[in-house]
Amino acid sequence: MMAEQERDEEVSASYHALGSEEPSAALDAAILAAARRRRLHWKGPVSIAAVLVLAVGVTLRMQRERPDAEPVVLAPQVMETPPPASPARELARPVQRAADAASARAAAPAAQARSRGESAAKPAEDALAPEAWLERIVELRKAGRAWEADESFAAFKRKFPDYRIPDAMLGRVAPAQ
Amino acid sequence: MLAYRQGDAGAFETLYGRHKGPLYRYVLRSLRERAQAEELYQEIWMRVIEARGRYTVQAKFTTWLYAIAHHRLVDHWRKRGLQLVDLEGADTAAHRAYEPEPRAEGREDLRRLAAALAALPEAQRETFLLHEEAGMTLAEIAAATGTNEEAAKSRLRYARASLRKAMHDG
Repeated sequence: MMAEQERDEEVSASYHALGSEEPSAALDAAILAAARRRRLHWKGPVSIAAVLVLAVGVTLRMQRERPDAEPVVLAPQVMETPPPASPARELARPVQRAADAASARAAAPAAQARSRGESAAKPAEDALAPEAWLERIVELRKAGRAWEADESFAAFKRKFPDYRIPDAMLGRVAPAQ
Repeated sequence: MLAYRQGDAGAFETLYGRHKGPLYRYVLRSLRERAQAEELYQEIWMRVIEARGRYTVQAKFTTWLYAIAHHRLVDHWRKRGLQLVDLEGADTAAHRAYEPEPRAEGREDLRRLAAALAALPEAQRETFLLHEEAGMTLAEIAAATGTNEEAAKSRLRYARASLRKAMHDG
């Protein structure tokens, strides 16, 4: 047994004597730059989420000022638009989305009524305690509403930047990529 | 990895610095062709970056990383019509060229070791490299390569025996 262990150690030592090649500095730089770029892509969804939170705030204020009026909600296309394809478009979209939201509120009451069950809960999200908000995101993911969950998660991170999400919960709420 | 997933780019640099050498040598000594190895090495890290949201603490990062690397290698072999098969005890000819490191020059036993490593069946060489480079246990190797501990143990034993024989048969 001991002899076998010694023989294994001899093979191991000889193997490590072969050398220790490392990736080139250029390869290192390319990979690290890619990791940083992926992180920067968070800025798009975060800014979109900020616009949504603002829109929700305005909506709530309008409701409070006109308690007899029909409840106003965001149109579903505002919540389900796919991720932006380029940084330039990311910068342009929040403005466009705000405009879309305004026109949708005016022009699509039927769609609003259909989506009320899903979207009416959204405005309250910002007022939730962190734990309840995270549970809301879990529900969105379970319902297959991944993009809304991503946006909600981004908004959560913005509102509670220092909140330590438990590891078990993080796996259930964080974006898939 | 969890810190990186939450947006800490510095955490990725730490992880990368810790694993780049072993992973690079694992890929390079599996493929033995530097350009291909660099391409695959880069692909593996891109996959890690893309899949960061799916990483959970249930798996040790090293196991998760090398599971990704293993799958990329398997894809590579498949594209070339090869498979990671066990040929335990088979007499596989040293038909592939392998250039040992400069440090091996002047040491005939190391040159033979490098040649024997290149000639090992893929599954045996992979197990040996995961053990020596990544410092993985048999259980971790089994998890990363989708096999069981007994198979990993057997592969490692055969690999070591072949390499030892090559070193002393000069």
